[in-house]
Amino acid sequence: MSDDNTIDPADRGKLIAAEYVLGVLGAEERREVERRLAQEPALASEVAFWEERLGVLADAVAPVTPPQHTWSQIEAAIPAAAAARPTSLWQSLAFWRGFGIAAAALAAASIAALAYIGLVPATRTPLMATLAGTSGQPNFVAAVTATGDNLIVVPATLLTSDPRAIELWLILPNQQPRSLGLIQPGQPIRLTIPPDLAGRLTADAALAVSLEPPGGSPTGQPTGPVIASGKLTSL
Amino acid sequence: MDADATRSQLAAALVRVASGDRAALRIVYQDTCAKLFGVCLRILKDRSEAEDVLQDVYVTVWRKAATFDPGRASPITWMVAIARNRAIDRLRSRAAGGRLEPIEAADAVSDPAPAAVERVELAQQHQRLTRCLEELEARHASAIRAAFLDGATYEELAARMNVPLGTMKSWIRRGLLKLRACLER
Repeated sequence: MSDDNTIDPADRGKLIAAEYVLGVLGAEERREVERRLAQEPALASEVAFWEERLGVLADAVAPVTPPQHTWSQIEAAIPAAAAARPTSLWQSLAFWRGFGIAAAALAAASIAALAYIGLVPATRTPLMATLAGTSGQPNFVAAVTATGDNLIVVPATLLTSDPRAIELWLILPNQQPRSLGLIQPGQPIRLTIPPDLAGRLTADAALAVSLEPPGGSPTGQPTGPVIASGKLTSL
Repeated sequence: MDADATRSQLAAALVRVASGDRAALRIVYQDTCAKLFGVCLRILKDRSEAEDVLQDVYVTVWRKAATFDPGRASPITWMVAIARNRAIDRLRSRAAGGRLEPIEAADAVSDPAPAAVERVELAQQHQRLTRCLEELEARHASAIRAAFLDGATYEELAARMNVPLGTMKSWIRRGLLKLRACLER
């Protein structure tokens, strides 16, 4: 019988990701891998490789309908979970490395957005959204102009080293996201709201920002990670 | 509805969940709960524990939806990974006990009907994985499937297949390395 001594040390390093996904590790080893995942992108991508490849084995498991009360228990558990939303995952994303998230920048951005909409006579209740990542820190401020047909988006942060495009989405209840266009990481931008959506930017809508291939999502739906989101609220 | 549409609808729903949309979580739940409950039940072999874990899974989905990257993972695979991780953690926290089924049970369900595979892309991945598993020694492939489906540790697998622990580790590690090489071809 062959033994492990003949396994290349480089391969052993990679194996831990496969063993983690396969589920053969004990509790302590699992926690150790999870601690490393936050700091080691190579390990994280190896874990993602195995999750995607081995994941199809789950097709062998017959679906079983859970009891009806499960959903109401989940629903009841959510507000508490939402309050505890901040996760540390975002801190490790390369995207945020270039960001200096400062309260001062947000304040300046908010003032800039408010000053802008202030230039137009108010004919309706101004709507604003503060878009935050899961860390809870605001990353963009968006304001609907008083005429209701333009959206000013001001990044609260100035730099990103991520080469991907940044796309803004309108999220309406029970509908697929609608693209509002690409925004710039370093400067305020004015987007024209498509006429069919102009009346839909109300307080029950939300905005989300995702990272997309250069030029924007090829599918018309978000394809990259959502880096910030927030509800529109009336001032 | 075609496979890509199903996938992109689920991905879109997850994006809405990331923005705090509870109705979207309900859609995600309806589309995936039977599959994920099956996965949890298979690992835990206990309905009430599986129900607990299932709740925890969707609360986790709610919290982590913003980290889901539709460009890198299929939505169902992402959710299966969360469900398995939660179920395996629950299993590990339980005192070691003899609730696991014999290894034959894993083999018995290891060849799903093609109809069970809903998405074209996943179907292709499934074929590739099946082909690569077939290149392995039968008992190595069998140990890998059992490990995945039951979330069993090396120790449990060694006991179930009646081989020394070192042998089981070697089977699975060698199997995984060969599998990786094959999947990358």
